[in-house]
Parts: sequence; C-alpha cells; structure tokens
Amino acid sequence: MSTHTSAELPGLGQAAFVAVSIQLLSAAFLYLILKAEGGWQVIGLLALLGAGFYLIEKRPQIADVVTASFSRVPVVALITAVAVVLLFPFAVGNNTYVLHLLIVAQLYAVLALALNFQLGSANIPNFATGASYGIGAYVSALLAINFGLSFWLTLPAAAIAATLFGFLIGIPSMRTRDTYLALVTIAFGVVVQQLLNNFTWTGGPNGLVGIPAPSLFGHSFASPLVVFGWKLPSQANFYYLSALLVVVAIITAHRLHSSRIGLAWNALRADEIAARAQGINVAWFKVLAFAVDAFLAAFAGTIYAFYVSYISPDNFTFLVSVTIMTMVIVGGMDNIFGVIVGAFLLTILPEKLRAFSDYRLLFFGIVIIAFLMIRPQGLFPQRIRSYGESR
Amino acid sequence: MAELFVQQLVNWVTLGCIYALLAIGFSLIFGVLNVIHFSHGDVAMTSPFIALAAAQALAIAIGVSGPVWLTVATCIAVFAVGLIGVILDKVVIRRFRDAPAMMALVATVALGIVIRELIRHLYPQGSNPHAFPRLASGVALEIAGVQVGWFTLLVVSLTLVLVVLLFAFLRLTPLGLRIRAASEDRIVARMMGIRDTRVFRATFFVASAIGAIAGLLFASYAGVTRFDFGVMAGLLGFSAAVIGGLGSMPGAILGGLIIAGIEVLAQTFVPDGASYRLVFVFLLVIGVLLFRPEGLLGRPVMVKV
Amino acid sequence: MSQLLEVNEATMRFGGLVALNAVSFSIGRGEVLAVIGPNGAGKSTLFNVVTGVYRPTSGHVRFDGIEITGHPSHQVVARGVGRTFQTSRLFSDLSVLDNVIIGMHTRTKTGVLGALFLPGASRREMAACVEKAELLLKASSGELFEQRHRPAGTLAQADRRRLEIARALASEPKLLLLDEPSVGMDEVETDALIADIRRLRTERPELSVILIEHDMRVVEAFPDHVMCVDYGSKIAEGDFATVKSDPRVQEAYLGKAAVHA
Repeated sequence: MSTHTSAELPGLGQAAFVAVSIQLLSAAFLYLILKAEGGWQVIGLLALLGAGFYLIEKRPQIADVVTASFSRVPVVALITAVAVVLLFPFAVGNNTYVLHLLIVAQLYAVLALALNFQLGSANIPNFATGASYGIGAYVSALLAINFGLSFWLTLPAAAIAATLFGFLIGIPSMRTRDTYLALVTIAFGVVVQQLLNNFTWTGGPNGLVGIPAPSLFGHSFASPLVVFGWKLPSQANFYYLSALLVVVAIITAHRLHSSRIGLAWNALRADEIAARAQGINVAWFKVLAFAVDAFLAAFAGTIYAFYVSYISPDNFTFLVSVTIMTMVIVGGMDNIFGVIVGAFLLTILPEKLRAFSDYRLLFFGIVIIAFLMIRPQGLFPQRIRSYGESR
Repeated sequence: MAELFVQQLVNWVTLGCIYALLAIGFSLIFGVLNVIHFSHGDVAMTSPFIALAAAQALAIAIGVSGPVWLTVATCIAVFAVGLIGVILDKVVIRRFRDAPAMMALVATVALGIVIRELIRHLYPQGSNPHAFPRLASGVALEIAGVQVGWFTLLVVSLTLVLVVLLFAFLRLTPLGLRIRAASEDRIVARMMGIRDTRVFRATFFVASAIGAIAGLLFASYAGVTRFDFGVMAGLLGFSAAVIGGLGSMPGAILGGLIIAGIEVLAQTFVPDGASYRLVFVFLLVIGVLLFRPEGLLGRPVMVKV
Repeated sequence: MSQLLEVNEATMRFGGLVALNAVSFSIGRGEVLAVIGPNGAGKSTLFNVVTGVYRPTSGHVRFDGIEITGHPSHQVVARGVGRTFQTSRLFSDLSVLDNVIIGMHTRTKTGVLGALFLPGASRREMAACVEKAELLLKASSGELFEQRHRPAGTLAQADRRRLEIARALASEPKLLLLDEPSVGMDEVETDALIADIRRLRTERPELSVILIEHDMRVVEAFPDHVMCVDYGSKIAEGDFATVKSDPRVQEAYLGKAAVHA
C-alpha cells in the first residue's frame, strides 16, 4: 500500500466504469438475495459472496483499485448510489415483503452505525443500544397517541429523551471497564425492557397499538406512493424515509470520524492512559460516545414505531442489542461501509434462512461463531486514515 | 410476621445457594481463562433435560425407576454436563482466550443460542416446559411454625459440601493449585511449566459440573424446566459473579446470596414486586458496580503506568 | 522570575508502601533536570504525581504559577505538560501522523456539534493539524516522516521513541517529561537521542525538560541539574559531578557492602 504512486491510479474513464459497475453489481446481488427462494439459492449466493471475499483477501490490489476508483470519481459514484437507492423500489415492484426487509435492514444499519461510535471507534461495550432504540420508539409513540403530536415533532423529542438516557448509562463508564461495564449496560437494558413490560402507561407486555402513520405535505405514509404514474406500495414511503436516515447516519459517522472527536475516540480505544496524557478528557469522551449512540438509535426507534404502528417490549430485548453488536463486529469495527453491510447481511440472512424453518436460529448461531473464529477482524477491517493529497 | 420472615428466609437461602453455585462457575472460568463464558447458564440448564432423558433411558432399558434411579440419572447428567463444558472449551471458547473481551462475549452469547436450540430440537417436544421432580420431598423440621422441607436442607447441605470440596480441591490437590496459579497470573503459570490444556479441561469440567448441579436444583425448585431457562440463569449467575468480584470464590457466593436476597425482598415487601424483581436486581447490580467497580470482593485493578 | 514547576514535599503512599517521601524540587524555564535512581526508587511515580495520574497523599505541585495538585491529567496537559512513557505507549493501530495529531488535542477545539454542523471549520482544523504534524515529523527525522502513513505499531524502537517525543511536543508543552527515553537503545541510538534532545533545546530555548535516566551517558550530556531518588526520597541534588561523588548515591547504586568494602 505504501508503494502506491499516482502512476498506478486508474484513468478517469476506467475509474468511472469500475465505480458504477461495482455499485450496480452490488445492487443486483442485493436484489437477487432478497428475491431468492429456497435454501439452495441462498446458500449459492452466500458461497458467491464468500468467494468474492476470498478473492479480495488473496489479491488485495483489487480492493485498492476499487477504493482508488471511488475516490477518483466521487461525484459519479455518488450519483450512481443515489440513483440505485431511489430506483430500487421500482425494481422490487409490488413485493411488499422485500420492501419490508429493506426498511428493517436500513433501520438496523442506523443502529449499527450508532453502536459503531462506541464499539468500533472507542471499543466501549454497550449492550443497551436496544434499550435506546426502545426509548426512542416508546417516547415518540406515546407522544403521538396521547397528545396527537405529529411524527416530525416526536422525532426530536424522542432523540432528546434517548440522549439523556445515553448520558445516564454513560456515567458508570467513567469508573468501570470491559466485562464490568458490559454488565452495567446489560443491566440498564434489562431494567428498561422490564419497566416497559410492567408499566401500565406503556401498555405492559401488550405494548402500544394504533400509532398513526406520519404524513408530509398532506401525503399520508399509509397510502401508496405515486411517482410519475408509477404506483409504489405504501411501504415505499418508509423505505425512502429510512434511506434518508441512513444517509444522515453516514454523514454523522463520517464527520465525527474525520474530526478531532473520532481521533480522540480512537486514541482511547488504543491506550487509555496514553490518551489521557495527550490531554483527552477520557471520561467525557466515553460518555459522549454513549450519548451519540443513543441519539441515533432513537431516530431509528421512532421510524420503526410509526412504520409498524405497533410496538411491544419484545422488540427491544437484550437479544436485539446483541444482534446490533454482532452486525458491527461482522461488518468490521470502525468501518462505516462494513458496518452497513453487516447490518444488511444479518437482517436479511435469518429471514432467508426461513427455508430451514425451525432450524434457522441454530444455523444463525453457528454461522456467527464460525465467522468470529475465521474472520475476527470483520468483513471490512478498519482502515488507516488518509488525508487528501498526502496519500 | 415472624412466620413470613422465616418463610422468606428459607426461600432466600435456597435460591441464594443455587445462584451461588452458578456464579462459582462464571468466576472460576473467568479467573483461569479471562473469558466470560456467557453461555454457562445454558450449559447448566441442559442438566435437567439430560437427567430426564437418562431416567427414561434407564426405565426403558433395564426397567428400573424410583428415587434411587433418579439419583443415578442426575449423577449421569452432572458428569455429562461436565464433559459438555470441556468439549465447548476445546471447540469454541478457548479460541477466544486472547481475543478482545467483546468477541468472547458475543461468541458465547451465540453459543448460548446454539445450546438452547439444540435442546429444543433434540429433546422430544423440546419447545414445551417439562415437569421436573423434587429431588427431595417431605418436611424435615419446623422453625417458628414454618415447615422446612428436605429439599431446602438438600440444597443447603449440597452447596456447603460442594464449596468445601471446591476449596479443598483448589488448595490441596496439585491440579487445583495449578488452576489457582493459572488464575493468579497466566503468564507466570505458563513459565512455571503448567500445562495449560489440563488446567483448562479441569476448570471447565468442575465449573460445568457445579453448574449442572445448580441447574438440577433450580429445575427441582421450580418444579419445571424449559429450554430457555438458561438465559435468566446465565444473567443472574453472571451478575452474582460480577458484583461479588470476578475470580473470587467467596465473592461468587456472596453475590449469589445478595441477588437472591433482593429478589426475595422485592417479592415480599414491594407491591407487585414479583413482576419488578428483575428491575430491582439489575438496579442493585448497577449500584454496586458504580461504587465498587471491581465487585465487592474483587481485587482492584491497578493500572501500571 | 518564578520557577516553572515547583514540587513541594510531595508524598505518595499506596497502602503501606511509601512510593514518594516528601520530595521537593523545582525547575526553571529552559532548564534540563535529570532524575536518576535505582529501579523502583519512585521516579515514575514522581512523573505520575506531576501529570495528575496520581493525586499525592500530601504535598503540593505548582506549575506556571498555578496550583495543580491533583488536577486531572487532561487539564495538566492543557496547561503545558507533555510526557512520554517508560514502555512506549503509542496508538499502535493508528498512523504515525494520527498519533501526532492526537497530541494536538488540547490545542484544537472542535466539539461534536461543531464537527456535525460546521464541517468546513472541522476540515480546516484537521488540515492545519496535518500540516503542523508533518512539520514536527520532518523536524524529528526524515525517516519517521517517510513512514507517516504507516501504523505506529510497525515502527522500529528508535522511531517509536522519536514519535512519542514528537507527539508530546505536538501539545506545545512548556515542560516535557521524558521517562527513560534511552531504554532498549544501543549506543548509536543513544547518541542520536542525546543529539535530538540537544537540538530540541536550541530550537525551543523556553522548553524545560525533566529526564528520568538510567544511562549515565545521557545524564552526563545534561550535567547542570541532577537529582537522585532512592526509596522514594531525594538523596542528592546538584550538578552531575557533585551528585555522582555523593556517598549516598554510590551506596544506592552499588549497595552498602560495596561502598564500605
């Protein structure tokens, strides 16, 4: 990598071709796996994916060429990405199940990006992201049901509530570490979930029903979306909404990562004592990571609540937090792209394993253990920062 | 009032002993491997199923049943679970010994899923709850008008015997001393030529077998067992080990008693306390760790600069 | 002019162990103080008390005219105290450049909201940091500068030490604490280290340096102000010749028997 010189950089046309075709291929792959039916098709596609990673592992130049191409023609790459995201529902058509999977995957991508600030950037365990997600969902749902507040107003309210919760669970992180801190966050997660399960004003185990669909400029999200005569099912509204949230999460992650904040988090991940000696207020930055995580998770929770219009404590259990954690680890800690891939894979895979009906949880568990043994660094490991021209 | 008090005292001691036995396993494994074996609760809760299966197998194969043969079946289960622990260590857990703590945690959580699903699929009608017999029944004695069953006495005496045996094992036998040396300092232990493999095998066998006994007692106490009991057993046992101080045996016992105590207190004195008992338990966990980050009897971690 | 750092009767106890026993000393601007003493004498504890890692059991630390006793580390650093560690503590999975930029943490100020809503300002801040860090690395050694995009964990021993010093300088300290910088170095590397420190002093005449050292060649190179610590107490202070000939110092280093034999 250090031998990289500008002479090896791909030409403009070649770069544009690589960037566009890689994105189209990924989109096609996503489409195929979403549409795949029967166990063998899914296994075949997974084998293809595995072969792809094996190839990249054996020939790292491929990855270098791809990243170089993307940074050579950022505008082309961006336009292609936007087009793919915008047009995907049209390709899916009336298959509401696929749209539903995409919405859930995008919300999990946001949750995984949220947790990545802690687990990836700063290596702080947090098994309470599911709880922040739940607080976001419940706060916004309660405000909408009891006070008739619109979705757009509940969004910031839920985020503020969850951020306060984030600060609260962050406080013990000043004193406890590793396993002990992991238990503290597990404890917070269980307490929140149990409280939601027992309070009467949260609907107890039955949860909250009848959360009204949001509307924008008079268009209700419960009605089909009509674009230039094309009629998309009502899920498309939420698809675009959650896609927008993913974009916000990516921008947030990118800006924090490339700022002084991201460096400070990385510093305390590598060596807390050395970080302190650089003047980093370690306690504050840890709490900050918890707050940012909760803030983003609340957004995902709000959209989820309004999308399914029915939430219960079962949606926000300890296992949800573990799933989010697994997404970050599988995708690649501190790698924005990897984390999103991890979230998509781990959302879609268990659904597709329905072909194995009753055995899918077993299969899922085995896959995760095997993955952690074979590739503990994740699909896309973290990368060294590069600064503009000084590549 | 006195009656209620004694009754709750009996409940507390029974539950406290069971949690303590679970916590000992967590603490032992963490001490030696520095890894949180999150699925230890699930491993422990396989024992009632294995015991039931063994009892049925005995009944079919040689046509015997009754209390004596139930005891035989439970012994088989304890031994089998010990072996399961050793196998899991060899196949999965040992590989995460030098990995970041979070990897091991996530991997063992996934392992817990696998264990639960295996019970569900391998045991006939595994998704349903299965009745589990009292391992001892009848009234042993009466204190202040409260009848104390043989079962309570069994739990208490078994726990005491196990703790004494464990301490004797760790302090008197060569293998036990090696386990202690390994948990004091792994690198030093390795330099002194202690063969790690044997130490790990022994640690996992002992921890899992003790967990299996806790699992049997728990199922017997509840009168029922289910494939997913391991989740809560694991969380409560882990919490007990952590607030007691990971790696400390007396700490694990203390932690078990405290967790059981708060549960019983909540159920007795707080209206609707039964449904809020986990809230109280985990608030206590947070509170303890806020003021004693290394647990009650744990050694504070001195960071060398 | 008042001294830059004044340590007054600093005592540090860990349980029954007295790691520092009423140690007092001071250092003025632009001076170099060498601290010597046998292993476990309390030299590193002294650094930890000065930098706020430990709060002294009793006694006072004043820096730049302000009482900083027991202030948290990050505040002490912000006031102008930079340090290196005995066993090098680089952020090994980050690039050499990032290590230096993190050293500028107290000299930069973008917060979460700033990073999110004023990305231009945040980018400019980082660009300025990169520029400054590259200058620092170039000044340190051309070899280190060439390796600036490599993970710090892959550097050779001598370069690691240089990078630690560069990182400490990035915070623009008034006082630099070097904890056994020559540990694990051969003679050539030690000579280079001495040259590095000398160069540093000519480039930054206002910078004060406290040096914990075992290697007497390094101490000899900065002989004006030397202090010897043993069993947590200061047993001698003065120029190198005076300290070296002090019988208590010889005793501490060679053992009682050797001196009286």
